[in-house]
Amino acid sequence: MRTALTLLIALGAVLALSLTACKKEDNSAGTSGVTDDTVKIGLFVSTTGDYATFGGDTKNGVDLAVEEINAAGGINGKKIDLKFQDTASKPEEGGSAAVKLATQENVLVAMGAVASGISLSAAPVFQKNGIPMISPSSTNPTVTQQGDQIFRICFLDDFQGAACAVFARKDLKKEKAAILMNQDDAYSTGLGKFFKAKFEKLGGKVVAEESFKAKTSEFNTQITNIKNANPDIIFVPAYYNDVALIGKQFRSQGVDVPLLGGDGWESGKLIPNAGPGTLDGCYFGNHYSQADDREVVKNFVANYKKKYGEAPSSLAALGYDDVYVAKKAIENAGAFDRAKIREALANLKDFEGVTGKFSIDENRNARKPISMLKIEGEKFNLVRQIQPGEVE
Amino acid sequence: MLPLLETEAPGITAELILQQVANGVAKGSVYALIAVGYTMVYGVLQLINFAHGEVYMLGAYFSYYPAKWFGYVPETGEKPKVPLYLIGALFVGSMAACAAVGMLIERLAYRPLRNSSRLAALITAIGVSLFLQNAGQMVFGADPKGFPVFMDQESVPLGPIELANTKLVIIVVAAIMMTGLHLFVQRTKPGAAMRACSFDMRTARLMGVNVDRTVAMTFALGSAMAAVGGVLVAMDQPRLTPLMGLMMGLKAFIAAVLGGIGSIPGAALGGLVLGVAESVVGTWSTTYAEAVAFIVLILVLLVKPSGLLGKSGREKV
Repeated sequence: MRTALTLLIALGAVLALSLTACKKEDNSAGTSGVTDDTVKIGLFVSTTGDYATFGGDTKNGVDLAVEEINAAGGINGKKIDLKFQDTASKPEEGGSAAVKLATQENVLVAMGAVASGISLSAAPVFQKNGIPMISPSSTNPTVTQQGDQIFRICFLDDFQGAACAVFARKDLKKEKAAILMNQDDAYSTGLGKFFKAKFEKLGGKVVAEESFKAKTSEFNTQITNIKNANPDIIFVPAYYNDVALIGKQFRSQGVDVPLLGGDGWESGKLIPNAGPGTLDGCYFGNHYSQADDREVVKNFVANYKKKYGEAPSSLAALGYDDVYVAKKAIENAGAFDRAKIREALANLKDFEGVTGKFSIDENRNARKPISMLKIEGEKFNLVRQIQPGEVE
Repeated sequence: MLPLLETEAPGITAELILQQVANGVAKGSVYALIAVGYTMVYGVLQLINFAHGEVYMLGAYFSYYPAKWFGYVPETGEKPKVPLYLIGALFVGSMAACAAVGMLIERLAYRPLRNSSRLAALITAIGVSLFLQNAGQMVFGADPKGFPVFMDQESVPLGPIELANTKLVIIVVAAIMMTGLHLFVQRTKPGAAMRACSFDMRTARLMGVNVDRTVAMTFALGSAMAAVGGVLVAMDQPRLTPLMGLMMGLKAFIAAVLGGIGSIPGAALGGLVLGVAESVVGTWSTTYAEAVAFIVLILVLLVKPSGLLGKSGREKV
């Protein structure tokens, strides 16, 4: 009898709680992400789990931009109130973070995520709620195909792969390329595919195509095959961890041909892990270059170093640009109105960002240049930027 | 039709195949070092010690921390000359630490279950493996660590082929260790005790063999061999992660089964065959190398279910 009574009381308490919770939500649904002096902007990236460094860098860039904007008076007089959700490197967390940002926090605009898988699980929620979502760095083509509210400000893998091929063929004048890719990673095989298509179209020859399994650290078999094919450039679309080992093992087998790669190479750990000199004279494409002498880049790099004590990565730069794109769109819209902000985003032209000057195209993707960098000692020096027009 | 034999490389020559065989021998030597741990424990206890791959991982980490004191640390760029005895001490230290870990695992996780069902022990082994992986992520961090460099990797010409100096070290050290282990088991008294336990544990006990001590020694020896593998691989492929034992453990286990589980020369042979099969198949297609290598293994086991050098038939009831 007593147990039944306790249960009844507990049930009553739960009901009462859930009722008040519902009521609270009802209250906030009326407003649309703004108060008298603040504007709510959502951010969802992974600051824990496998992609923690990517998400952490992105958030650092975002925080810096928000700080700068608020110090300068905010957006049209309203300070940014950043609502952050950690997606813990799990795709399913993208969806629940999106629900929280859309319904509970009721943000005006959302920013995120880095990993395409997480963006893909969040996008339908924002699409349904009519909230513009701007991904800083999800490169999978399908992300922005989720609906007309979904935008991104980074280049796509097809452009990146093709641009590397243009660089190898036209700038470096290479004729025989070998490709070494991670067969378990769509990013890696995607870049490999687009590189190959463009390189062959430009009259080059792909003499060896090798792949390795994720988490291997032994590449001798592949390297022997590549060495046997005698290429004059080796395209390695992999992440820096693998690239450091691959570079080392190529050199230890006496292969001195330059390696070429994509934005996965960028990390402060690339050179220390590979050892000094190993990757000298190798190239990779990236979202921006710290050596870029435009005013906006210089300011960003200086302020970032001051705040965090380290040089900003591409992901930090993209996070930073993401906030300024949102600001620009709200200003262009002239109102804190999601439909108008969406229009302004879709029509964004010649935005001067840290990661280059870019416009949003009809597919809601950024049309922007890629920076080709050369590794010299500890430094990544800018060789040149390749514009989208050169690749098409 | 798989695009398997559709080669794009210009000409598959005898030199190329020979080079791949050499690559495979280097790879297989490591498999062999770890496979003996599986095989010895199985021989004595009929237990598949799934935590063995993690002991290999620990071996690499146990050498990483002391190595940071005297090795070349990538972050600073200094490159001291490391005397040979220090490298030797690194191996011995890691072996001793892993032997202790191996004995500890046996004492805490397996000995209490020695008389329960084999399935219980097997599940415990999987549990220990998961525990060590996750504890490793907590203690060492999930981030990959770059191993300090002792010798610059460079290729050494060997007739028509060449091999990195670190690979040569792997092959030589592994061969010495395996031979030493074989001699220990065949020629010494503790080795005879091990063989006796493997043959019939109860009778061995009646004959005055200290079974508990012999089992502990088996774990210690196997773990020490795995530690050698861990240090060798860390020197050759300087990227340590707490999950590095997973795939390596699996491959080594397969090598042990292929060679005939319970047999030490079998483990050595199985490791080499697996390594060479992977590398040589990789000449045509690196994408399908592992798949094809495993098909080869299945075929071998279909023809000879007890493995290449395994004794057939005698199952204890």
